[in-house]
Amino acid sequence: MTTGKQLPTIQGLEVGADTGPPRSWLTTRIDYLVNWSRRNSIWPMPFGTACCAIEMMAAAASKYDLARFGMERFSFSPRQADLMIVAGRVSYKLAPIMRRVWDQMPQPKWCVSMGACASSGGMFDNYTIMQGIDQVVPVDVYVPGCPPRPESLIYALLMIQEKIKGESLVNPELRAENPDAVGRPNLPPEAIELVAQPFGNSTRQNRVSGAVPSGAILRPRDRLERLLEHQD
Amino acid sequence: MSSTTVPEQTIDLVTGAPRADGGADKDPAIQALRQRFGTSVRSVHSDAVGVPCAVVDPATNYDVLEFLKTDPAMAYDLLVDVMGVDIGGGRPIRVWYQLWSMTHGRQLRIECRVPYENLELRSVTPLWRTANWLEREVWDMYGVTFTGHPDLRRILMPENYDEGFPLRKEFPLRGRFARSEQVRRALERKGEEIYAREELEWAGVLPSAEEDGPSDELIPELSMKIGPELLADGLESDRMVINMGPQHPATHGVLRLVLQLDGENVERCIPHIGYLHTGFEKTCEYREWNQVVPYTDRMDYLAPMIYNIAYAGAVESLLGIEITPRCRVVRLILSELNRLLGHLLWLGTTAMDIGATTVFIYTFGERETIYNLHEAYCGSRITNSATRIGGMLADLPAGWLEACRDFVRRLPETLDESERLLTRNSIWMARTMDIGVIDAETALNFGLTGPNLRASGIAYDVRKARPYLGYDEYDFDVPVGVTGDTYDRYLVRLEEMRQSIRILEQALDRVPDGPINVPDPAVILPPKSEAMGSIDAMIAHFKLVMEGLQVPAGEVWYSVEATKGELGIGIVSDGGSKPVRCRFRAPSFVNLAALPYLVEGGLVSDVIAVNASIDIVLGEIDR
Repeated sequence: MTTGKQLPTIQGLEVGADTGPPRSWLTTRIDYLVNWSRRNSIWPMPFGTACCAIEMMAAAASKYDLARFGMERFSFSPRQADLMIVAGRVSYKLAPIMRRVWDQMPQPKWCVSMGACASSGGMFDNYTIMQGIDQVVPVDVYVPGCPPRPESLIYALLMIQEKIKGESLVNPELRAENPDAVGRPNLPPEAIELVAQPFGNSTRQNRVSGAVPSGAILRPRDRLERLLEHQD
Repeated sequence: MSSTTVPEQTIDLVTGAPRADGGADKDPAIQALRQRFGTSVRSVHSDAVGVPCAVVDPATNYDVLEFLKTDPAMAYDLLVDVMGVDIGGGRPIRVWYQLWSMTHGRQLRIECRVPYENLELRSVTPLWRTANWLEREVWDMYGVTFTGHPDLRRILMPENYDEGFPLRKEFPLRGRFARSEQVRRALERKGEEIYAREELEWAGVLPSAEEDGPSDELIPELSMKIGPELLADGLESDRMVINMGPQHPATHGVLRLVLQLDGENVERCIPHIGYLHTGFEKTCEYREWNQVVPYTDRMDYLAPMIYNIAYAGAVESLLGIEITPRCRVVRLILSELNRLLGHLLWLGTTAMDIGATTVFIYTFGERETIYNLHEAYCGSRITNSATRIGGMLADLPAGWLEACRDFVRRLPETLDESERLLTRNSIWMARTMDIGVIDAETALNFGLTGPNLRASGIAYDVRKARPYLGYDEYDFDVPVGVTGDTYDRYLVRLEEMRQSIRILEQALDRVPDGPINVPDPAVILPPKSEAMGSIDAMIAHFKLVMEGLQVPAGEVWYSVEATKGELGIGIVSDGGSKPVRCRFRAPSFVNLAALPYLVEGGLVSDVIAVNASIDIVLGEIDR
């Protein structure tokens, strides 16, 4: 932008350093609009493999009804999908296929790792099951459970919505395509060894809290509190 | 031999020395084998449920099995399973052929002991087509070569897997490489670019087998990447090779089918499985007897408790214990509820594959009711792990039977509704009638079991043939089809649901009072209140927790009727706290092998309908 004059900013939002484009009032509103439309019309790509896939189907069926959150349109083609839900165990034989599906999805994209097996290998610490899909694709939300109940999956999807809410179009680090990463592991070998050891994924890797801060993923209730704050 | 080895007298390790035969000598098949093959029959014995077994010379396996199949007095026409057993210590690998005779209603097991120096057997694929995949699995897991096998390559592991044979005892549970190396190799493998030799021949990348003679060395070529050559050739010819899966909405899991199409007609179909290989059988060898239970319900997650119950039944027959009358009826009720659970999912998803979404919504509503019953009983919806060796995890909660009765009373309405939508629906009939036909003889040759076999007209149901859980005390029919097409398979499953309701109605009225677990402190944990109060119970609790359940040495083949067919559980124990071998004969593994026969010559759109109609679940296929 070439405007000499700084546009007014929303109270409470910090203005970035001089390097990036100014987070002006106008841009923030576009962010808001884009995020609003993105988060309420997510097209999930169900990468269902095992038991968790049955609970994912149950989440979409009559009792739980994912359509309430704008997500009933399951996109079986990765090229039109925003969100990959990896539901079930992923073997080493399946890993390159999962990575291929992930690479085929256009940005912006998110990933939910549903269930213990997808998140950490679960009860299958053996020669064929990958000890957590985050070794191959970046994961935004991990859902615990074996299998998680449909409510847990819905909660995870709400967390994805919260995460989308906090994103900005002008952040160059977010949502950029990276051709170099295509078909490659998501973690360096040392990190894979760390998270793949018994209990590794649950003790070494904690994205929401714990040792490695990775930005806030707000819980659905926080949203209410923030709204209340803004009202004051 | 060290103290960790298996006791010789019960397990009969290397020499084939005679042991207590348990009446196997009186079996007519064993007598005929002895008479005809003489010393080739090394020894005979009975397993824990009385299945007669003959250990025969590996060199004669084909002749013995051919005699057993073709001789009218034997007529063992169903090859139920081919499985391997490695008991470690470099001793010969055993290959079990599990047989069933429809005509005479008899079971038989033939065992071959193949020494490591010469891991070779003659393939029995000319006799039974079902041996094709089963032998491939034995090769994949144990490295036993079957000479004369048309297509001997890896089936569950990746085709160019080079770490070895996973089910051998010397193979480490977590594989030979570090995890990072395994991930790197996996990503370099490009699973979707691996084709079988046959597929390369269609595509013209390789010369056909007729031109350069049949070749046994399939493995080096399999890693060949199909790149521009295939595309160029594909454009020139009038045929097309397409990949369906492994990520496809209508393959019911991560199944990959490679189809050769001529226009819309399917000329050839080769299924690739193993994308969900989970290593259940290997992992179970590292778990204590009761710790195996949670693994069993993750195999068939559509009807989990049938697996729980079958596994518990198999171990109980090794232990030689009889479950309580109440437990028997409770297990039967849960089995039938799970049969409904599996068939309801089948009905909903199959209808959705063919284009009727409403049925899916109806049947999932009913499934939620069964889930609620599961939850009320054991707290989880799908992965119940509800059985324990010698009983169940708990008695039924108060009011459970009434809730179940309500469900059983209401379910026929939903079935009627679904049937009104489908059975006389002209689209449904056009999509399913005379599609994927298989006649009785071929179905038997393919080893189909369950509704798929019954749709072809053979009334084989393990609940009737070898009753367990007291199924013979209940009044129910076994529905059979006439033509063996997709429509018949639909009708048979629908009628089976009604028969399940019939069984449930009878069973719910005769749940006896009494304890649910056997009163044996060596098998079942004492209640916490007792363990805290009495020294005997405390000792029993301590021993069971610290040492685990001890199961006497022996072997067993125990089968039940799962939703998809005959579920066989083969267990070998060395008397310790963990199984030596825990084999699950998954019905849909064998059923899926018939898919190429069913779809070849049909239309590509029928592949979806036929694949749905044989009711597969990849969890148990890939195990």
